Amino acid sequence: MQFDVERATVLGRPALTVRGELDIATAPRLADAVESQLSQQPQSLVVDLTGTTFMDSSGARQLARIARRAAADGVSLEVVCPRANRPVRLVVDLLDLRALVPIVESPSLTDDEVGP
Amino acid sequence: MTPTATTPRPDVPGVGDDALQRCADEPIAVPGAIQPHGALLAVTEPDLAVVVSAGAADVLGTQPASLADVLAPADLDRLRAGLAGDLAELDPLRVTVAGAELDLVVHRADGLLVTEWEPLAGAEQAGASWHRRLPRVLQRLSAAGTLEELTAALARDVRALTGFDRVMVYRFDPEWNGEVVAEDRRADLEPFLGLRYPAGDIPAQARALYATNWLRLIPDATYRPVPLEPAANPVTGRPLDLSAAVLRSVSPVHLEYLANMGVVASMSVSLVDRGRLWGLIACHSYSGPHRPSYADRVAAEFLGRTASLLLHTTVEAGDQGRVVAVAQRQAELVAALGRTPRAPAQALTGGTPTVLDLLPAAGAAVRLDGRLHLLGSTPPADRVPGLVAALLTQGRSATDALGTLLPAAADVADTASGLLAVEVGGQRGDFLAWFRPETPREVTWGGNPHTPKTVETEAGPRLSPRRSFTAWRETVRGTATPWREHEVAAAQALAAHLTESALQRATEDDRLAAALQRTLLLEALPEVPGVALAARYRPSAADVVGGDWYDLVPLPSGRLAIVLGDVAGHGLAAASVTAQLRHALRAHLLRDRGPAAALQGLGEVIAALLPGELATAVVAELDPGTGDVAVANAGHLPVLHATVDGVRLLGEGRGPALGLLDEVDYAETRLRLAGPDRLLLYSDGLVERRDVPLPDRLDALCAAAAAGGEPDALLDDVLAALDPPDTDDVTLVGLGRTW
Repeated sequence: MQFDVERATVLGRPALTVRGELDIATAPRLADAVESQLSQQPQSLVVDLTGTTFMDSSGARQLARIARRAAADGVSLEVVCPRANRPVRLVVDLLDLRALVPIVESPSLTDDEVGP
Repeated sequence: MTPTATTPRPDVPGVGDDALQRCADEPIAVPGAIQPHGALLAVTEPDLAVVVSAGAADVLGTQPASLADVLAPADLDRLRAGLAGDLAELDPLRVTVAGAELDLVVHRADGLLVTEWEPLAGAEQAGASWHRRLPRVLQRLSAAGTLEELTAALARDVRALTGFDRVMVYRFDPEWNGEVVAEDRRADLEPFLGLRYPAGDIPAQARALYATNWLRLIPDATYRPVPLEPAANPVTGRPLDLSAAVLRSVSPVHLEYLANMGVVASMSVSLVDRGRLWGLIACHSYSGPHRPSYADRVAAEFLGRTASLLLHTTVEAGDQGRVVAVAQRQAELVAALGRTPRAPAQALTGGTPTVLDLLPAAGAAVRLDGRLHLLGSTPPADRVPGLVAALLTQGRSATDALGTLLPAAADVADTASGLLAVEVGGQRGDFLAWFRPETPREVTWGGNPHTPKTVETEAGPRLSPRRSFTAWRETVRGTATPWREHEVAAAQALAAHLTESALQRATEDDRLAAALQRTLLLEALPEVPGVALAARYRPSAADVVGGDWYDLVPLPSGRLAIVLGDVAGHGLAAASVTAQLRHALRAHLLRDRGPAAALQGLGEVIAALLPGELATAVVAELDPGTGDVAVANAGHLPVLHATVDGVRLLGEGRGPALGLLDEVDYAETRLRLAGPDRLLLYSDGLVERRDVPLPDRLDALCAAAAAGGEPDALLDDVLAALDPPDTDDVTLVGLGRTW
């Protein structure tokens, strides 16, 4: 399947939608896209793995690096990986990626975004 | 209406369409009128009887029936003598009529001799000093090494000669859009250098005329045309053909155009390269009417013809210079790569010159070993690989209209209307790419009193330079300066060089990694009394070393530590990390504080020495005497325990993968290995298949292990049953007790 990282907006926050297989070959492309987003110094960033069909340990390593980088930059990161996406969620759980990477079922609302 | 070639006109809604149409329909060769600064008498030969005339009463003070009525006998004799030979030798014939000096020029058209009379009074003279400098002027033109130098010298010298307020050299592109490539002007005037005009501004029939008629003059753009009498030439029954007449009245649309630019007097000289109209020398006066003398105009035309002859060789010389410069920088880049063969990206982006200097471009991208480096003005990093891949997928290296080729790229026209991309290595998506922006340049029109924002009249919209620029911009929107053949060739050559050295490097890396890997695998399994051991390592078919390792470490307490680990990534880098982790873990195991403490120590090693790396590992410690086993697992696949009652995967004693957290307290789980029981540790290469869910593969593994058997046989059975894909390395360790 074709790998693709698309820039999007989720609940008004900058987001990257990752589709296809996130592995040793494609992880650098996610890194490039995150780098490009973080260079604009956003307050928060959403990485959406809902459409990711496969993830290997290199993909997981990339997520860990992204989490460290976001923390260092003071960017609030959310990685969306719903339980329904079993192939990716299994890897997340196996590695206990949540120890470092903020994995969420769906993007959360922050106070700022709750309108009148 | 004159039949003319179809003029490609920009399709710009509301921008001068009507005016352009009127202009395109204009019968410019047969306007039926002349400008009022001279008189025209078309006569029959040999009697010189006047058949058609215009302006005679005003300029000559009489309406002659024959040239003999106005010319003194001596002048008449000189004219007749000249008519017998080459008419070009005659021009101009200086004559005196009613006490006033005039320049008389003649040509033949429609079966008549067309004589044009222009008074010396009121004409501007450059003076003898300029003409004395002519040799130096010619030398300057011929010494120009580049087109820029040639056109700049041409503009300067034509202005010095003719005294116009502004002299521009205007160049046509292959679609007949024009660009001001050189300019000499009064210091207070706004520069027009770099301005562009759409092809429609100079209609096809005008261009056809310019290719044969080298010089046009409008001394006063506010003039009232003087009609020819009679309107039809009695010889042909049609209006007299004025295409070769110096006094020819021009299109009213053209006069509007000049008025909109604030131009009062205008002159243009053709530039023709090997028979094709190449451009124009366009001269403007804003301060008032301006009429260079006939002699000065001849000199200006002479400069235009001289420059025309030089165009071809100068352009070629300039091209040659550019080709040499690109080759020079290519050689410098290759040399830089040779100095640091293990850091090609650094060699291309960190030194002087960089890959961006290789050829004229606004931005460049280098992707080597999967890492993207950007230089100059480029699209965002996350767009670049996709754009390059899309271009290469179409089997192309270069485009000067990316938005047309890939509609999805239209939004990056400001940085990437032009894209030149070449693949490096051919496998990992590495490439070199250069970007050129959309061609239109912003031009400041503010403060120019001669260019009102819009010109709307009762007759409809009128042309103005600002509108022309807008119209031109529409015709070239989304396009960049085209890539030259030698530029594409240089990019390809550089990429080929990188590919070749990358291949050499990869071969070398593979050899090193394989050597390193061999040191990670045990020459022979240790002999541990009471324990049967077996191990399998199967490298991936891609011949790339993976990050798997296993280890069997007899501990001081008499227990045996069994390790299986996996570092994310592959190749030399992963192999090197693997080696470090294996040895670090051994050291921690030998402290004999249990598997959880050892993994915790290994996590600290990664946090301190290998930040950014990720690994999984599982450690089982067996007491051969009792069969007690302690297991701790850092993000690795669960250990399999096969008993006579069934097979289970150890879900307990788990903690996060190594490298996620700086400090972790790992849990341990314990089990008792009974006589016929087997333990199986394995890497993800055994069970990972992209087309089958992991739980299904783990089920298959349990089923295959249920058969039991000696560890050696067990591993063979499992491998045969699971038939793991050869895209990843596969490692298994199996053990059982022999007592």
